[in-house]
Amino acid sequence: MRILRYVGKRLIFIVPQLFGIILVSFLLVKMIPGDPAVLMLGPFATEEQLAKLRAEMGIEGTVLDQFWIYLKNLVQGDLGTSWQTTQPVLLDLFQRFPATLELITISLFLALAIGIPLGVAAAYFKRSMVKKFSDYYGLLAGALPDFWLGLVLIFFFYTLLGWAPAPLGRLDIAIIPPTPHTNFLIIDSLIEGNWQALWSALGRLILPVVTLGLINAGPILKMTQSTMERMLESDFIRYADTCGLPRSVVIRRALRNSLPSIVTIVSVLYGFLIGGAVLVEIVFSWGGAGQYAVQGVLNADINPVLGFVLFSAIFSLVIYLIVDLIYFAIDPRIRS
Amino acid sequence: MHPEIAAATRDPAVLSARSDAILAIRGLSVSYPVYGTEAVRAIRELDLSIARGEILGLVGESGSGKTTLARAIMGLLARPGRIDAGSVTFDGRDLRAMPEDALRAIRGKDIAMVIPNPRGELDPLVTVGRQIATVARAHLDIARDKSDELALEMLKAVQIPDPKRRFNAYPHELSGGMAQRVVMAMSLVCSPKFIISDDATSGLDVTVQAQILDLLRNLVRSHQTAMMFITRDIGITAHFCDRVAVIYAGEIVELAPTVRFFENPMHPYSVMLLAAFAHNPRLREKWHKPLASQIRAGTTGCPYAPRCVHVEDQCRGTRPALLELEPGHFVRCLVPVVRPT
Amino acid sequence: MNDNARSASEGSGAERGAVGSKAGSNAALRWQRFKFQLRFLLAVLRARPMFALGYFIVISVIVLGIFAPLIAPYPPETANPEDFLQLPSWKHLLGTDATGMDIFSRIIYAPRIDLTIAIAGTAISAVVGSLIGAIVGYYQELRGIKSFISGFVMRAADVLQAFPVFVFAIALVAIFGQSLQSIIAAIAFVNAPIYLRLMRSQVLAIRNMRYVEAAYVSGASDFTIMLRHIIPNSLGPILSQLSVNIGWSVLLTAALSFVGAGVVAPTPEWGSMIAVGFQSIITGQWWPSVFPGIALALTVFGFALVGASVEVLADPARRRALGGTLKQRAAEAA
Repeated sequence: MRILRYVGKRLIFIVPQLFGIILVSFLLVKMIPGDPAVLMLGPFATEEQLAKLRAEMGIEGTVLDQFWIYLKNLVQGDLGTSWQTTQPVLLDLFQRFPATLELITISLFLALAIGIPLGVAAAYFKRSMVKKFSDYYGLLAGALPDFWLGLVLIFFFYTLLGWAPAPLGRLDIAIIPPTPHTNFLIIDSLIEGNWQALWSALGRLILPVVTLGLINAGPILKMTQSTMERMLESDFIRYADTCGLPRSVVIRRALRNSLPSIVTIVSVLYGFLIGGAVLVEIVFSWGGAGQYAVQGVLNADINPVLGFVLFSAIFSLVIYLIVDLIYFAIDPRIRS
Repeated sequence: MHPEIAAATRDPAVLSARSDAILAIRGLSVSYPVYGTEAVRAIRELDLSIARGEILGLVGESGSGKTTLARAIMGLLARPGRIDAGSVTFDGRDLRAMPEDALRAIRGKDIAMVIPNPRGELDPLVTVGRQIATVARAHLDIARDKSDELALEMLKAVQIPDPKRRFNAYPHELSGGMAQRVVMAMSLVCSPKFIISDDATSGLDVTVQAQILDLLRNLVRSHQTAMMFITRDIGITAHFCDRVAVIYAGEIVELAPTVRFFENPMHPYSVMLLAAFAHNPRLREKWHKPLASQIRAGTTGCPYAPRCVHVEDQCRGTRPALLELEPGHFVRCLVPVVRPT
Repeated sequence: MNDNARSASEGSGAERGAVGSKAGSNAALRWQRFKFQLRFLLAVLRARPMFALGYFIVISVIVLGIFAPLIAPYPPETANPEDFLQLPSWKHLLGTDATGMDIFSRIIYAPRIDLTIAIAGTAISAVVGSLIGAIVGYYQELRGIKSFISGFVMRAADVLQAFPVFVFAIALVAIFGQSLQSIIAAIAFVNAPIYLRLMRSQVLAIRNMRYVEAAYVSGASDFTIMLRHIIPNSLGPILSQLSVNIGWSVLLTAALSFVGAGVVAPTPEWGSMIAVGFQSIITGQWWPSVFPGIALALTVFGFALVGASVEVLADPARRRALGGTLKQRAAEAA
């Protein structure tokens, strides 16, 4: 019951938060120079044509008027149209958001698989090679530009060795894509039993996932290590040692008490990567949401940018909600 | 030097090699290195032995090395502290020569420890019953339901009200006194041969403290367990311990059977401690002379000399030895307090 | 630095006692303290070679950037179409890119842009962010208009931080136009909330300390308390964050340039160099992007190491622990 009340409270706050985010981002992108109408119709369009198009796009009058129009459309589920793709933004985002989500979710799993065991080992064996290695790894992962690492991996595994497929999108062009149910390629091809598509999609995921996974394992590793170190120094772990509990029990208890921090850092990374994966998306021509937004910013195409900001804000809020629920599950002190 | 002292001899055999000793510490030195100057000597060539079933009170102010001694016995010194010399023999086995895993098997099973701030010593995410059961299972090789049963029994033994319900409580749901009882249950669940109680009741209300101490004494006596009872409160030792040892700056300055100690304290520091306990403001003021408890390596003379009211010139140059001035009563002082009999 | 100084002075009590006048003893003490700290720093660098490496990298990158015109064998922005995509050789140490520009020269010139942007952006964000953070933190728990404004600032920072960082930075550059100043502004803007939060939490923690209360009760003004007690005590975490953050800003600058929203092509900059080399890497010419990437990563790595060392050295407890460890190691070695 407490959980329900807690979630309800959070949900009430979401609406004003979203409103603030939309307002600020609207004002912000409105400041980007460039008239979409001119960009769409070209330099030879007449003034009437331009005015007509502006009215259609909801970009005439003061900024506040425009914001009002945008809000009214938003309530009806209309995020406007992108003049670059000439498609409704909602449709575009439904295609591209899953692409990004698929990529970053699998990458984070890889990052967790690297970061947590390494962090735990480094915290427990304080003067070992593992500790040294993970210190270097954490610093190095924070220093390597992910887009550069992607390029180097492409050079080795595609150009040089020919093991990896070309860095050109999520699926081989020659392969018939599965019908989009969810737009997550793996799920869609599993639903249809389209093994060829599944195989190709997985193959193309490998390099970008390795790129993002290796880089993002860094912060997870650091957080795991530092929290575990703190826990292992804490009174109750020292007392567990005093009671002669086996190492495995001691480590498990310390890790369990470190989980909240690890969950937090993962959620922060998750929220960050929605837009932060854009460089890797560009390198691998992924066609994800971040890329869509960046193209929008660079070409004065404001609706995709607003749609993207809105989507990622909602996504982040949902993630934070889930994080809170995980805290609830882990920690009895929060439950009561 | 007083004639009585000249007659006394130091007899290490009595100190550390008693045949029925459960724990024998010989020449133990522990230091904490500090950058830029000499290391801090926390324990200096300490000899001490505890007999089976005996309760030894260890009294000293904070910083005197009580906790360091306890942790050194357990092999769990906080970094960067280290044992420089000496041996710790438990039940005939040399603890310092043992590998970590063998020590782990002894800790909690044969040597248990009760510590202050009990709520911080319990894992906040695990129910207290499970924590007690885990200790039992780690050492006693029994099935889970059996260990749960044992844990419940222990909760009853430490007189926790409504033990069945408390079994499933989390540490934050317990009061300080209750948590202290849980910690006691954890340390007693494997029926250890030796318990170290490190200032275990310092954070509790006086009434709760009395209850817990009573309980602890009864449990220890009924299990024939030996105990080292570390405290800052010299008064508690009077009706709790068989022998009292006073530790100052890492060395034992006086060691005597409890009755003798309270009838006839001989070291000036012990006298001061007792005086402070007696709420005598004039004596307390003298006792509060500046603390010189961080004894650097290479320090000569009696470490208590700067604060001592009986200090003589010889005290600053010679380190006194621990001498047996009357049967079982050891004092480390060149000018002990001697009373007319 | 207090406890080092204390242990230093404890060790040299006799020398201190010998000095007569008060002023003289102060100077002597200060000299003692300085000598002790220098010795300690050298010992730390010997025991933690990674820290030394960090300082070495950072200093050499800065020096290379400053003396680039003297060192670089070729002008950094002159295309030489005849010599395009040359493999590394004695003529072109790190090869040439698709337009025939010498990669080695460009890499050496790049810190001039990258570090300027990163240091300026970080400095601005640190000053502005921590000032606002200090004020917000100081007034947060009071009532009235000041507290209301504090709350509002924090909510605004929340909203700003809810934005996807990278898209936000690109949007800022797009708004202000592609110039050095606007990239600096974007980086400052993106980083400011970090310092705001850090400083605020520091101030909130320190504010409730007894010594601050004591200062307040004895009639010190808000300004004095802030200047004398709060800011000096919260500087450590800010300093270590600063160094790490400079490295991170170099990465962000490069990333902006990589997508074409930062420094424009002929200007030597690591990110845009990697972007230029992007096309050739698929056809097998790896050097135009690999070398600038290594330079970029090394620089960020260096700043991260410096940040890590500051984090340890600025915290008295950790410094002391490190001192103990050094001593122990020395004893073990002997």
